Amino acid sequence: MIAVLGLVVGVVVGLLVRPEVPAVVEPYLPIAVVAALDAVFGGLRAMLDGIFVDKVFVVSFLSNVVVAALIVFLGDKLGVGAQLSTGVVVVLGIRIFSNAAAIRRHVFRA
Amino acid sequence: MNNDENPRSQEPERPEQPDAGVSGAPDAPVRPPAVEEVSGRQRLLAGLWPPRVSRAQLIVAVLLFGLGLGLAIQVRSTSDDSALRGARQEDLVRILDEVDDRTQRLEDEKQRLDAQRTELENSSDQAEEARKQTLEKERQLGILAGTVAAQGPGITLTISDPSGAVAADKLLDTVQELRAAGAEAIEVNGVRVVANTYFSGEGGDIQVDGKKIEAPYEFKVIGKPQDLEPALNIPGGVVQTLEKEQATAVVERSEEIVVDALRPAERPDYARSSSP
Repeated sequence: MIAVLGLVVGVVVGLLVRPEVPAVVEPYLPIAVVAALDAVFGGLRAMLDGIFVDKVFVVSFLSNVVVAALIVFLGDKLGVGAQLSTGVVVVLGIRIFSNAAAIRRHVFRA
Repeated sequence: MNNDENPRSQEPERPEQPDAGVSGAPDAPVRPPAVEEVSGRQRLLAGLWPPRVSRAQLIVAVLLFGLGLGLAIQVRSTSDDSALRGARQEDLVRILDEVDDRTQRLEDEKQRLDAQRTELENSSDQAEEARKQTLEKERQLGILAGTVAAQGPGITLTISDPSGAVAADKLLDTVQELRAAGAEAIEVNGVRVVANTYFSGEGGDIQVDGKKIEAPYEFKVIGKPQDLEPALNIPGGVVQTLEKEQATAVVERSEEIVVDALRPAERPDYARSSSP
């Protein structure tokens, strides 16, 4: 519950405060958000499976974000930033879908 | 990705079982999967409803807060800059080209309008100039047509004709001679001599434009006196011819001749100006 509250508060704060994102971080933010979403779905699924470990969640969340940003950064340096970020988004999207399917089976029994 | 593999490999490692359980559901539809799923649901509900403050909850809340923040910022910045932010490079290039084209077109139009404005200003200046010239011309033509009075240097030619021997053609010759010498305005005994002036009658009974005039005939002529006087006095000229007819002609130069006999401006009945 508190976790859900944290998400809601984060969204509200982001919408209300409109913090300025530094230009250096700006290109990596969308990829980082998608990676974090992937970690959250994985965590949700793990919780439904009863195998949720907060330490694992924290590590996966942070490493997901960092690695995703790193890949985009590297891609930008190599001149294939757009393609690489597309690839990252595709991979993360597939994982989010498979996790969402598992969650769906738990929640809707279907 | 390696780092990510770890938690994922730890987590899905065991989820294999529930997956297997679910996929096994068609085989054993009733009991085991139901228990598994209900327990998953219960875990979700249990995590959701009684809000417990635990370490795990707090940590996840902090991370999710960060996620929500990033999400909101990204959504806002994406929707802020409208269509351009998400546009592909080719689209951006095309849009840029279009904007350039448009700028070029507008620039061209501006130049065209500027030129037009300059032209209009010039033409209004020209219209003013033309109006002045027209006024000036009207005055000049008025002098020629006899509708306005004229003054300037010239001569006075007085022809006394005691014997009544001067006929109309002699007066006409005089006028021709004066015109040939550059006379600009001529008046005979109060009658303005213009382009369609005619002389008629015999000696002693002379009419100018149908108006009878009596000797002595006094010509008031505006022109260059130095030209007019010799033109009349040359051997075989007007003065000599008149003297042969027992008439006397006297030419006097003057710096100020006033020709103030007028004739009304007549509008031609048929002739119309063909110039625009």
